[in-house]
Amino acid sequence: MSAAFPIALASAAILSGTSLLYATLGELIGERAGIVNLGLEGLMLIGASTGFAGAAVTANPYLGVAAAALAGVAANGLFSYVVITRHANQLAAGLSLTFFGLGASALIGRPFVGAIVPGLPHLGAFDLLVWLAAPLAIVLSGLLYRTRWGLTLRAVGESPAAAFAAGRRPDRVQYEALAVAGALGGISGAHLSLAVALTWDEGMTAGRGFIAIALVIFAGWNPLWAVIGALVFGGAESLQLQFQARGVDVSPFLMNMVPYLLTLLVLTFSGLRGRSAAPAGLGRSFFGVE
Amino acid sequence: MPREAALARFGPAASAARRALIVAVAASAIFALLLLIDGKDPVRAYRDTIVYVFANAYGFSELFVRMSPLLLTSVAVALPSRLGLINVGGEGQLYMGGLFATAGALGFAHWPALALIPLMTALGFLGGALWALLPGLLRAAKLVNETISTLLLNYIAPLIVSYVIFGPWRSSESASYPESPAFAAGARLPTLGSTRVHLGLVYGLVCLCIYGFAIGRTRWGLEMRAIGGNAEASLRLGVPVSAYIIGSMAVAGGVAGLAGMAEASAIQGRLVAQLSPGYGFMGFLVAWLAGGSAVGILTMAALFAVLSSVGDVLQITQGVPFSVINLLMAAILFIVLGERGAGGRR
Amino acid sequence: MTRLRMLLAALLPLVLALLALPAAWPAAAADNLIVGAIYVGSVNDYGYNRSMHDGLMAMKAAIPGVTVLEAENVPESAEAERVMEGMIQQGAKLIFATSFGHQQFAFNLAQKHPDVDFEHAGGWMQAANFGNFFGATQAAWYPMGVAAGKMTKTNTLGFVAGVPIGYVIGNINAFALGARSVNPKVEVRVVATGSWSDKAKEAAATGALIDQGADVIAMHVDSPATVIQVAESRGVYSIGFQSLEARALAPKGWITGLGFTWGPFMTATAKSVIDGAFKPAMVREGLGEGMIAIAPFGPAVPEETQALVTAAADKVGKGFNPFTGPITDNTGVVRIKDGEAWGGDKMGNFDWYVEGVIGKAK
Repeated sequence: MSAAFPIALASAAILSGTSLLYATLGELIGERAGIVNLGLEGLMLIGASTGFAGAAVTANPYLGVAAAALAGVAANGLFSYVVITRHANQLAAGLSLTFFGLGASALIGRPFVGAIVPGLPHLGAFDLLVWLAAPLAIVLSGLLYRTRWGLTLRAVGESPAAAFAAGRRPDRVQYEALAVAGALGGISGAHLSLAVALTWDEGMTAGRGFIAIALVIFAGWNPLWAVIGALVFGGAESLQLQFQARGVDVSPFLMNMVPYLLTLLVLTFSGLRGRSAAPAGLGRSFFGVE
Repeated sequence: MPREAALARFGPAASAARRALIVAVAASAIFALLLLIDGKDPVRAYRDTIVYVFANAYGFSELFVRMSPLLLTSVAVALPSRLGLINVGGEGQLYMGGLFATAGALGFAHWPALALIPLMTALGFLGGALWALLPGLLRAAKLVNETISTLLLNYIAPLIVSYVIFGPWRSSESASYPESPAFAAGARLPTLGSTRVHLGLVYGLVCLCIYGFAIGRTRWGLEMRAIGGNAEASLRLGVPVSAYIIGSMAVAGGVAGLAGMAEASAIQGRLVAQLSPGYGFMGFLVAWLAGGSAVGILTMAALFAVLSSVGDVLQITQGVPFSVINLLMAAILFIVLGERGAGGRR
Repeated sequence: MTRLRMLLAALLPLVLALLALPAAWPAAAADNLIVGAIYVGSVNDYGYNRSMHDGLMAMKAAIPGVTVLEAENVPESAEAERVMEGMIQQGAKLIFATSFGHQQFAFNLAQKHPDVDFEHAGGWMQAANFGNFFGATQAAWYPMGVAAGKMTKTNTLGFVAGVPIGYVIGNINAFALGARSVNPKVEVRVVATGSWSDKAKEAAATGALIDQGADVIAMHVDSPATVIQVAESRGVYSIGFQSLEARALAPKGWITGLGFTWGPFMTATAKSVIDGAFKPAMVREGLGEGMIAIAPFGPAVPEETQALVTAAADKVGKGFNPFTGPITDNTGVVRIKDGEAWGGDKMGNFDWYVEGVIGKAK
């Protein structure tokens, strides 16, 4: 019965990497449009509780995922308004969104703690969201690099003023990007509650939203690298659990540090080569005309 | 995120008072709304809150307990922000301060408090400073943006703390529960009477005063503002920009490290995995709301403390889950964020 | 001069507040007992917090007029002390601090409030107004092992542990001893998540154990909900812990489980506080005393196995100690010599696994 170790590890890494990948792709799209969202953890929590509640009410896990995506869009809409229209500080607004998500998800999920809901069914080895994750990265990559929308979005991320001068509407593109980011953040949370844990509990994302923010950096703001990154980050967690099950003793804490150290190293080296993959206008707020 | 990262440049101090007022009014209104939605009596809740927080020695003293780490972590954000640097690593720096201070507390447990407390204070400062030094160096060498590096280091520091309390420093007294052995009496920061108000508050106030003085009255403050305005021009004028970047990051980290030292020494009495419930991030918000002004930081830290106390009251007297207070806090922050942003660019 | 006046004005509220007595916060009528309880998680978790809440409710039903103040999701941090202090100011005279990490904060308050009695779950501290209680879970895990040992076909049992403290290791050891008493070929694989509650990690840990061939999964985390549901979805058996209600989560794969029944103890404690006769003690009671009960069996368990498990439970209830020597650890060292036995006082001391457990306890 014992599955071969590499296969077991790979499937565990894929399972725990999936929710990270959705969150990472969402954050990545937003950052490519020049907006850092430190509130990803809050978005994921809202997605996790809304998805769970939706599945409990409708008895359909797919409707739960849809509800989570919508809730993510709504919550990120609030963030978008504050940072895009009101030009607020993105880092402060993102942290506020984290607090918002902690509170809102607790309120939404409270009646459903302990509910038994249908989880996302497996189609073959994995559930639907797992199967869709990597293709989604390819689609997003195509959108970013092969379409006019993607071109505009990246131009806005590099320099909103230049994009504005070229006749584009930076704010609209940014709203669109953050709507996509919100939906993906919500789905990411829903995958945790509906496919991985099959329960809702306050604060259940346990910092995974912040991990996804580090992952965007690790991936060099490239959707395809995000797939690799999600596997590495998801794998680091699974690996130590798989090791334990085989009686091999490794420190989970040292293991969990590896992805962050790796990210920092990658950044330092790309800095040494005089290159930075970060969108030049990241975090800047833009005021139409200057 | 190049120089313009000065987006986190804080607004003028003059409007801090106005913001404090907005925060207070908005808080009261949203608070009432939340309670009404939940079918509770807001008037009674107001009364309970006021009585609990302001007319009750314990509730009032706890305000200062909550404020102490916030003062330190917000100075840790405000100082580098003068140079246009964004330090979001207060959380990690706090943990490293706690870790280093614990090394002192456990290694020199037999020392008298008069010698041990200063040692732990120095170690706590050192731990945080070292943890922020790396981002400072990377930034000064133009290799890695400090926002990203401080953010990443936030994850690593708590993992190091977990590693030592699950491993080498694990206490044997408590059924091998993952926490360090309890600190000796001489390693505990003195507290005021029977309250939990501890010397960390003094650390916070002193750091805040030094910060306010250095920024407003010294050549350092002037040169820092010059660098924040235009780093290249300052360099041409002979201002040692790199030294300022490295130095301010290290000092900021050290100040955040003091918060970790104080939490471990005064509140927990040992090193634990959950040393901070996000004081580093809250410090960022406090510093940002305060526009970087020393008086503003004091006011905003106090307001944050009052808000959290409201959470306690709601939970105990009204049966509202504590996490709802996060919603209240976020609502207020969004209101202020929207209001501020609209005020125009700086 | 104006500055001085401003300073005084700022200090005035402080002085006023310090003068105000703690009693200023409106307390409820004093003739009926108010009991406070803090939980580290949600009370609907099918687990530990649910069992504590159920105990409090049983106490409330048994003693008319008792008021219960509860707070969920209270972290094991400085916040815990504030919440308990708030309950005391509301008039609570008995506090149940139910998570291991609440201990120090409850103890601080016990020293500050000699007129309030405290009961902490699972720790070791004691004082005139501070008692400690918990289920003697270790021996109770022995019959669970018997059940698992009979039900496994792969001879591999999985155990998801939260924080691997001595008591948890003791549970795993007794589980392994029970399993090997009926099936010497059994091995127990352990995965620790490092947290009492991290759902995603618990799910991954369960998956890792099943990948290693485990076909019976047991656990010691706050809420068994995730582990049991993941086991059920992957078609393996599960053995529950903490709350008897958890069987609802696994209609097919449920074998049996242990649940806490705190009601009688909490009721007795509350009565002793009302009578002014509170006596703190180190209470560790198990199957025999009724602080732990065995859940009903699932549909897959044959009658013969049920009888074996019930017999083992009776034996434990009558005083059988599974930790009677000779007992060898999983590196071959004899840890409990022939003729010796480890009693309740040593259950926190385990830092080794018995033979048949795969993993390192340190």
